[in-house]
Amino acid sequence: MPTTVKLGPLTRVEGHLEIEVSVDTSAGAPQVVDARSAGTMFRGFETILKGRDPRDAIHYTQRICGVCPISHGMASSMTLESAFRVQPTDNGRVMRNLVLGANYLQSHILHFYHLALPDYINTAGLLDMSPWTPRHVTPDMLTGAQASQLVNHYVQALAMRRKAHQLGAKFAGRMPSTATFTVGGCTDTVSREKVDGSRALLAELRQFIDSVYIPDVETLASLFPGYYRIGKGPGNMLAFGVFDLNATGSSKLLRRGRYTDNLDKPVDHSQIREYVASSWYTPASGNLAPLSGTTTPDASKAGAYSWIKAPRYEGKVHEVGPLARMWINGDYRRGVSVMDRLVARAMETKKVADAMNGWLNQLVIGGATVKAGSRPENVTGVGLTEAPRGALGHWMQTSSGKVSRYQIVTPTAWNASPRDDFGQAGAIEQALTGIVVEDIGQPIEVMRVVHSFDPCLSCAVHVVRPGERAARYVVGIPA
Amino acid sequence: MSLTRRDFLKASASIAAAFGIQGAEALAREGGLSVVWFQAQACTGCSVSLLNSIYYNTIDDLLLNTLDLNYHPNLMAASGSLAQTVAQNAYSQGNFVLVVEGAVPTGASGKYCYLWPGMTAVNAIKTFAAKTPYVMAVGTCASFGGVNAAPPNPTQAVSVQTLLGTSKKVINIAGCPTHPDWIVGTVAHMLKYASVPTLDSKGRPTMFFNRSVHDICPLKGTEPAKALGQPGCLKELGCRGPETRADCPTRRWNTGAANTYGKDWCIGSRGPCHGCTEPKFSELRPFNKA
Repeated sequence: MPTTVKLGPLTRVEGHLEIEVSVDTSAGAPQVVDARSAGTMFRGFETILKGRDPRDAIHYTQRICGVCPISHGMASSMTLESAFRVQPTDNGRVMRNLVLGANYLQSHILHFYHLALPDYINTAGLLDMSPWTPRHVTPDMLTGAQASQLVNHYVQALAMRRKAHQLGAKFAGRMPSTATFTVGGCTDTVSREKVDGSRALLAELRQFIDSVYIPDVETLASLFPGYYRIGKGPGNMLAFGVFDLNATGSSKLLRRGRYTDNLDKPVDHSQIREYVASSWYTPASGNLAPLSGTTTPDASKAGAYSWIKAPRYEGKVHEVGPLARMWINGDYRRGVSVMDRLVARAMETKKVADAMNGWLNQLVIGGATVKAGSRPENVTGVGLTEAPRGALGHWMQTSSGKVSRYQIVTPTAWNASPRDDFGQAGAIEQALTGIVVEDIGQPIEVMRVVHSFDPCLSCAVHVVRPGERAARYVVGIPA
Repeated sequence: MSLTRRDFLKASASIAAAFGIQGAEALAREGGLSVVWFQAQACTGCSVSLLNSIYYNTIDDLLLNTLDLNYHPNLMAASGSLAQTVAQNAYSQGNFVLVVEGAVPTGASGKYCYLWPGMTAVNAIKTFAAKTPYVMAVGTCASFGGVNAAPPNPTQAVSVQTLLGTSKKVINIAGCPTHPDWIVGTVAHMLKYASVPTLDSKGRPTMFFNRSVHDICPLKGTEPAKALGQPGCLKELGCRGPETRADCPTRRWNTGAANTYGKDWCIGSRGPCHGCTEPKFSELRPFNKA
């Protein structure tokens, strides 16, 4: 009989995540034979947005996630621009890219050093205090000089991600969220002082990325080569693309596309459906495109175990995130695994930081930043972009000038989704299945797989758990 | 780099005395000020903002030398049952500061938010708050309900103060997100002056929330802007500076140096104030006027 372990809370992610794995000995090793991923918090943003001024969505949706508010602000600005048939000014577009880019830098640095790295180093004797103790310890964790150097970089990275936010605030006014994103661009002005200040901060960050972050990831990859063979998941990739390089968005730093059944293919967002067979929603809420999506809960639905819907492209499970973007863009095609995700994320950090330096040259000092336009009252808009952790889509309909429907499909819905109507497990569930867990009391292998996706549960706005699940065997909950 | 903690006994004793509780000296702990940080309906934005701290202390200084941050879901090494053990040990020892980020959903018997299997946010916050006189609500969600409690409030989200009732005074560090200085400065004030900072009628420290944004805004009295992106006072565009108390116009955001105010802030970037430190932040009223 397999042992089922409920790992909750799964910490060092954004939001409330619970992972349940069933472990059974097969071929002489304890392996994960089944995995279920569930979020444990619901807020109802899509309901809250109904009846509001569409422009409020730019600010409300930023509050979905405090790690990637800028991505929601970007998606929402693009949604409104698509609905109102407005294109941003060049200055406004570049400023928004710079703010979003700055948040990519802080998010990726934060992910590697502060969320993921503690799974690989034994900090005993280095950080013998909260919040780093108590800790999980496995024999393969780094110790000694290697651990000491990474702990020092952990501390240095705290300052670096702060500087990335300082950089973003140059055109955001403040970080983590911004009041400057608007339909047609960005409210801020472009001054020499802001451009020079941004460039100085960016130079420091690029130095850190080149001389510390990327070497650290390479070191980790060389010391944990086994993680290139673990945690593949579905192998399909999806990217909406991000960082528009022209007004129409036809050119992007990281392009739109997908990789399905080993073939590169284009993306048509109308082929996305959200399934609810394993989610606590009425059947009528399922098999719908986001633009016609509804969300009617059914807490007693038989067979359901999650409140995350299961988004699928042409019925297939896809992974989203930095690896998917770099894969689709042709920048990284070594493989799909835990370590490939960490490496691709670091390489993407460099790519974005280097591009930002060029974008600073494109700003026209004193030039227009916002384009005014009319706001037609009964319209439909779509905004497709990328959060640091993957493809993000907003869909909106308005009626008499108010939001009548607002649907959001987040990266973590793709990655952490449950089984769909066809019985296909979500990406993280698939990535966990088959991994060896040496000591179920120290489930560090599970954490390494989950953390490689950088899950963001607050973003999975559908997630809710109003009903108790059937009791499963839970290891080690103290009396 | 030294990773040993400074002796925080004296300061911990001061904060204990500040709250005027019996057995105050019990807070004097070798490891620093004990903190249990729960996230209910949080987006993590206030934790991320705290990571930007530098004016009073940097976050590494706080974690290494000042705080004993027992439980924080984003930062702690432990997961699963080991993480639950951390919370339960802190509970057993007592003498901790309970920090809550996010609103508390009371609908569906609290089941809209679980902190760990079987433990709703409602239950966890009530249980832990009963064990300590020190409860800080970080951010506008925890302080006033925030965006989670926006109409029609689908999860019946409430503030920490509403959840706990008036018998327990909650310090509200409002803001969506809150400013790192408002959190750290409040703690620093308590440690330095051995007193809780004066709170306004909404539970916010007056040292940060004494005057309206408009009152101290450098754009006050300038020719009003008629459209976003134009210079001037933003009041005709929906700026909520006049009804919002916060020291953003002077303190500003995302500074890069200790003891130095920042350069950037919403209005400085021609973004109208959304009133994010106020209970009315998320009411059904458009942010944009024009």
